[in-house]
Amino acid sequence: MEFPYGKAPLAILILAIISGAAVLWSSAQQASGRPDLIFATFSKEQGAAYAEALPAFEKKYNCHVTIEVVDQAALKNRLASALLVGAQVPDMVELIDGSMGYFTKGPIKDVGFVDLTNIMHSSGLYDRIVKSRFTKWSSRGHIFCLPHDVHPVMLCYRRDLVEQMGIDVNQLTTWDKFCAVGREVVKKNTDANGMVSHYMIDMFNDGLDGLRIMILQHGGTIFNNKGQVEFDTPGNAEVIIWEVKQLEGPTRIAFPCGWGQPLSRAMIDGLCLFYFCPDWRTEQFQSDVPMLAGKLDLMPLPAWTEGGVRTTTWGGTGLAITKQCKQRGDKYFDLAWKLAQYLYLDPQQLGERFQTTHVLPPEKDLWSLPVFDQRSSFYSGVKLARVYANLAPYIPQEFVSPYQEQAAGKLSAAFLDAMQYYNDHGDKGLMDYVMGDLHVKADYVRKLMARNVFLASDSKGAS
Amino acid sequence: MTQISLGSRPNENVEPKRANLPGKTRPPRHRAAPYLFLTPYFIITSIFFLYPLAYATLLAFYQTNGPGTKVFVGLSNFRFLIGDSDFHKALWNTTIFAFFSLCLQLPLSLGLAMLLNGKIGRAKAFFRLAIFAPNLVGQVFVGVLFMVLFTPHYGLFNVMLQKVFNWGLDQQWLANPALVMPAIIIASLWIYVGFNMIYFLAALQNVDQSLIEAARIDGAGPVGIFFNVTIPAIVPVATFVVVTSTIGSFQLFELPFTLLQQQSGGYGPADAGLTVVGYLYRNAFDNGDLGTAAAIGWLLTFLVLAISLVQVWLSRHVGSET
Repeated sequence: MEFPYGKAPLAILILAIISGAAVLWSSAQQASGRPDLIFATFSKEQGAAYAEALPAFEKKYNCHVTIEVVDQAALKNRLASALLVGAQVPDMVELIDGSMGYFTKGPIKDVGFVDLTNIMHSSGLYDRIVKSRFTKWSSRGHIFCLPHDVHPVMLCYRRDLVEQMGIDVNQLTTWDKFCAVGREVVKKNTDANGMVSHYMIDMFNDGLDGLRIMILQHGGTIFNNKGQVEFDTPGNAEVIIWEVKQLEGPTRIAFPCGWGQPLSRAMIDGLCLFYFCPDWRTEQFQSDVPMLAGKLDLMPLPAWTEGGVRTTTWGGTGLAITKQCKQRGDKYFDLAWKLAQYLYLDPQQLGERFQTTHVLPPEKDLWSLPVFDQRSSFYSGVKLARVYANLAPYIPQEFVSPYQEQAAGKLSAAFLDAMQYYNDHGDKGLMDYVMGDLHVKADYVRKLMARNVFLASDSKGAS
Repeated sequence: MTQISLGSRPNENVEPKRANLPGKTRPPRHRAAPYLFLTPYFIITSIFFLYPLAYATLLAFYQTNGPGTKVFVGLSNFRFLIGDSDFHKALWNTTIFAFFSLCLQLPLSLGLAMLLNGKIGRAKAFFRLAIFAPNLVGQVFVGVLFMVLFTPHYGLFNVMLQKVFNWGLDQQWLANPALVMPAIIIASLWIYVGFNMIYFLAALQNVDQSLIEAARIDGAGPVGIFFNVTIPAIVPVATFVVVTSTIGSFQLFELPFTLLQQQSGGYGPADAGLTVVGYLYRNAFDNGDLGTAAAIGWLLTFLVLAISLVQVWLSRHVGSET
């Protein structure tokens, strides 16, 4: 038989039929081989630790669970898009700090995660977990994630260099004292060309995370408990000015070492002596700069005032169960909730996992586990979990909003404006300028929020 | 000649007759064939161009939370954008980028093309490839690469500046709002200078040598030949390059987004690297508001269309004067 339009169209037609069949076959295979639960996370370390713990769970409940590790930005964007269009999503998803608002911009009924508020209360978890962690994973009074961590922040420092310079860290109880010592360090380590070989502290200069954690320690906030913008306060302006002065001008003591390789290089060189260090970062340092074993140590943050809070919080992970999981059937939701408890709250699991992730769990009862009293030779023999657990009850709470990202961007812009003003005009009029700028920026976010017809229609007031 | 060649074909009496047959007398499969071959094109165009175009027009009048939930807001999206300081900033950043990209890119591209158009023998192919190669790797790769090169204190670019100018070791290219746009322009130069150079090189190789010879005989120097012979000859290509570069500049997104991703979430400190398309992306995918994003898309379309029309008109005007 001869194809009427020639050989080339025939070849194209055959290819199209074969490709279509292959796609259908592959989709059918995937659908039939779907595990009972798919668990997505953005953290390689956490993914690896969960994978090790899974066989026991699978055996106990006779099920099959798959762990997928996805880059955090991709996880956030793809998950948000998939949830919005109703495409297939994992059953359980670990979300990174700051992403909650991303998923809660629309009406509360449109949020693609199961509302865990009731189950948190009925299971008693609400009382056992550090309360300040729930606010991070809530929207308009509804809890959507099980908190994974607490993430208190300490300062990690080059003990060898600090001792060499004769600095007594026990004396560095307030930021004023810390900065005074820092100015001496920078002065002594500046060469004739103005190049500094040792700064006192690594500090971000983008006005994002670095500024936010200092604002939280200072008692400030970006959103209040009603989800309203509240970053244009004199207290926050003071923090901005303080941080600007550590990064710029004649009183400079800080250098932004960044992330990854530049940070590792800076640590090895001793470019900065002190580094902000939440629990999760201790593991990163340990794997990124193994040559510094025994040369690093930890201390609580200096307080803003004598006797004040000596920690803050940086980062976080929350575990959400998607509505699609529940729609597949209650048995899958029950299994997902069991897995969540197994991975996040099982004492044996957490004890073992702390060794690899260094992440302190948010459930207070678990901090008494013996494994949390082990000393770390990498950090000069300090009881790693214990020092963080001691600070954990004092971490400030942080309220989130669907406009968290926009607010963080505007706060950062205000910080950078302040930096520019300080470089151009010095101290004169700085406070007034920063306050005025903060008001403008906060009003912009308020305007954005007021424009969102979905938030306005079903906001109950609480964040 | 035509008669001889046609006469030699065996089917000369058959083919013209077939071609002149009225449509209804052709076999049905032959009448359907053109439409059948065009169908995939129409289907694809309808699904991926016409439908999105129509839907985007409609969406511009809605506020949405993803594609599922939407509320009609009339012209509110356009009103908001016209008064929105972030949109103004994105527009300003993009315009600055487009202006400096063109002002730096085109002379550099032309200069390199002229160098390669000279007598450099076999090395020409090597240099042509070497200069063009950055374009092959794509904006995302270049973004990631320059993110490392611009690292304060340790980045190669900063180290080079320090060694050559005794300045710049600790410059925060990606954290200082004043330096973000220069950083993006430098990175984009690396990609696009070679790309545009290829166009100019092709144009230069097609300049009529007899005109250059004639000008030389008439006593014109190299500068005179360049402005009076070469430039008019390459005006059509230059117009094409200017228009495509301008459109490309206004569509800038991946380069700053990847370059600034780690430092400040993709838009730069204080939105110093926010472009119009970046602003569109932010509204569509960060905020889930496809309506506002569609409105931005339409404003961008009209803007680029207007600028391109002005450029084409100007080039024709200048071309006719020269």
